[in-house]
Amino acid sequence: MASEPTNLAISPAFTFSASTFQKLHPLEYFRKFASQGVRPDGRLLSSFRPTTVHYGVITTADGSAMVRMGGTTVVCGVKAEVAEPRLHAPDQGYLVPNVELSPICSSAFRPGAPSEQAQVVSEQIHRVLQESKVLDLKELCIEEGKAVWSLWVDVVCVSYDGNICDAALTSVMAALSNVRIRKPTYEEGVVKVAGVDLLDDENSFRLNLARTPLSVSFALLDTDLILLADPNSAEESISQGQIVITLDETGQLCAVSKVGAASSSQQLLKQCIERARERSQELRRIMNQEQ
Amino acid sequence: MDRKRVAGPELSVAPLVEYPRDHKRWTPQDEQRHDTKRQPEDMRPIYLKTGLINQANGSAYIELEKTKLACGVYGPRPGKRTGFSGHGVLNCEIKFATFSCAKRRGHMRDPQEKELSQILSQALTPAVRLDLVPKSTIDIFITVLESDGWGSCVAAAITAASVALAHAGIEMLDLVAGCSAAYIPSGPSIASPTPSATDATNATGPSLAPRIFMDADLEEEKYEQGAIVLAYMPSLNEVTHMLQSGKAEGSIVSQSVEHCVEACNKIYAVMHHALVESVGENK
Amino acid sequence: MTSVADAVVPGQRLGHVQEFNAGVGTYSHQNFLYASVVGVKQITTISSDELPVLSVQRENTQSAMPDIDAIVTCKVVRVNPRFAAVNIMVVDGKPCTDDFQGIIRVQDVRATEKDKVKIYNSFRPGDIVRAQVISLGDARSYYLSTAANELGVIFGTSVAGGSLVPISWQEMQCTKTKAIEPRKCAKPM
Repeated sequence: MASEPTNLAISPAFTFSASTFQKLHPLEYFRKFASQGVRPDGRLLSSFRPTTVHYGVITTADGSAMVRMGGTTVVCGVKAEVAEPRLHAPDQGYLVPNVELSPICSSAFRPGAPSEQAQVVSEQIHRVLQESKVLDLKELCIEEGKAVWSLWVDVVCVSYDGNICDAALTSVMAALSNVRIRKPTYEEGVVKVAGVDLLDDENSFRLNLARTPLSVSFALLDTDLILLADPNSAEESISQGQIVITLDETGQLCAVSKVGAASSSQQLLKQCIERARERSQELRRIMNQEQ
Repeated sequence: MDRKRVAGPELSVAPLVEYPRDHKRWTPQDEQRHDTKRQPEDMRPIYLKTGLINQANGSAYIELEKTKLACGVYGPRPGKRTGFSGHGVLNCEIKFATFSCAKRRGHMRDPQEKELSQILSQALTPAVRLDLVPKSTIDIFITVLESDGWGSCVAAAITAASVALAHAGIEMLDLVAGCSAAYIPSGPSIASPTPSATDATNATGPSLAPRIFMDADLEEEKYEQGAIVLAYMPSLNEVTHMLQSGKAEGSIVSQSVEHCVEACNKIYAVMHHALVESVGENK
Repeated sequence: MTSVADAVVPGQRLGHVQEFNAGVGTYSHQNFLYASVVGVKQITTISSDELPVLSVQRENTQSAMPDIDAIVTCKVVRVNPRFAAVNIMVVDGKPCTDDFQGIIRVQDVRATEKDKVKIYNSFRPGDIVRAQVISLGDARSYYLSTAANELGVIFGTSVAGGSLVPISWQEMQCTKTKAIEPRKCAKPM
């Protein structure tokens, strides 16, 4: 924790403890820290939270990864199942990412149908995978027109503390790189795989990922013209906008999105891309280290 | 059709797994247990940690080798509007991640999850002092990340949830430890056909009594003839919930209850350690 | 004084009822005292002719919830002639994870001349109010009262958007426009 600012008064007459003040006036509370160049959790405005990646954490999945970014923890599991291909694409498989923001991870989410945020993140990841052509879906063909693999890529958020976008996409890419699918045989409408205890290159295959897009998010505080890297959930709730930069390993942009009412200058966007480039390299280093 | 999720194919199935002829699988005839290390009365080692979900009021993560689940407790918070009540409500919801089992599970809550949620709230309610939280709800959410055995999963959920409740600072009468056991038929009763089908009780004489496997894993559960899940308050010495399924003689059931109580006392030591560990950290 | 060795968990037996009186974080059951929360065991002796009190100092405080007589800080969400509806955000100095709902009925706004009180001249939506819980209320809301000098609006925003400063117990002034707006103000403590 950073040292707490002393003057936590909303008007000269009333003073509060730090936690009460934060609850009543989250924005004012944040500004007291920001004016000294730090954030309430002790980080600099431009610093990211410690990140770890673990591979193969779920043995019932065909590929899996757990990513922790500060207080945010997500687990991604990939399951390969057999399905009929689409009529207009008889030799292409399916790649179906979904993000679950269940009520376990934060009190902001209630049981029931996926929240708006969960739908948005799922769709963002879906679009990145599709439009950046991360995986050639023809690789997932078992028998043309008859059977293809359907990869169900499900992300479960266990603990939510902001920046679900970066954590989810990182876990998806890590889990996809961890996938091993048993080599299938197709016989009279039935797809069979050999039951073996140990998967190796003889009896299984890995996915050929054309590129590994990773996203880097920033929160925007319009009124103060402050840019926050890797916002946590308290910062997300007071920010007016978000900038998400998605880059692949060559540093090429895969997607740039800016949402919210906050205005941003061209220069600010350039600055974001610059910083995102550094951060995505660091993320890649963390991913490769663990593998 | 689910319009709120990225759509995949309408129907997809797991591929057929074909084992080679010489493939050796575990069967109850084997002398050893499935994982070859354990004795029938042994549980898997438990890893239990509190405080991994920082937005929750209390949380716990438990791992019994491959069985892994996380539990978050929220509350006491305003309850659903169902009339005034001087008592709080304990609401449990358990969800299996889609990738947590051998077969892929759906996103929607299925009847099995609803049943489990109910078992959980019945097992935990006697231990929580709900009279101190009028009008409020305490929500317990559990996400099963990986399941290796149904019974062990329920037991682990009970254990983790009670630790998470204590971690949330909620007043309780006692912790609740959960433990499971499976009745595995002894080898010969399966291998040799029973001499007289009408007199089945005679055929399963004392020598053929099922073996009691504590904390059975998925492979062992496939052969079980019955199972028991026990929720127990170790220091008050009271059982809060017991679920016995399948066929078993009374003597076997009472024997397995004894085993489970003994195991619960061991689990209690782990729970105690996990909670006291967090006291040390802040000091 | 305290060590990890004194750390206890719910259900742990702490002593006999003949030796100690049950304090916070404990309960008695069949002549024994047990801990009901995770924390550190403490024994306090009050006087020589009374039993010492055995209590457990909580390690993790329970999420705050309103209780009768508690002082709460809340935000006004809507007003009508009969009551002001509020979200209770802080209870006894501890923030709630989820806001509880409460209402300040027109007869509970102040102690005297209750028949002359107009809700609209006491509270406006957006005001931060300090109040006291008087009852658990109905299924939906807790009932709150501001009938004491130190209770009432502690922070508000004027029609013009400036912050309001109290100038008397029933008037506040906008710092921007110097316009005066009616409120039931809290006396600074």
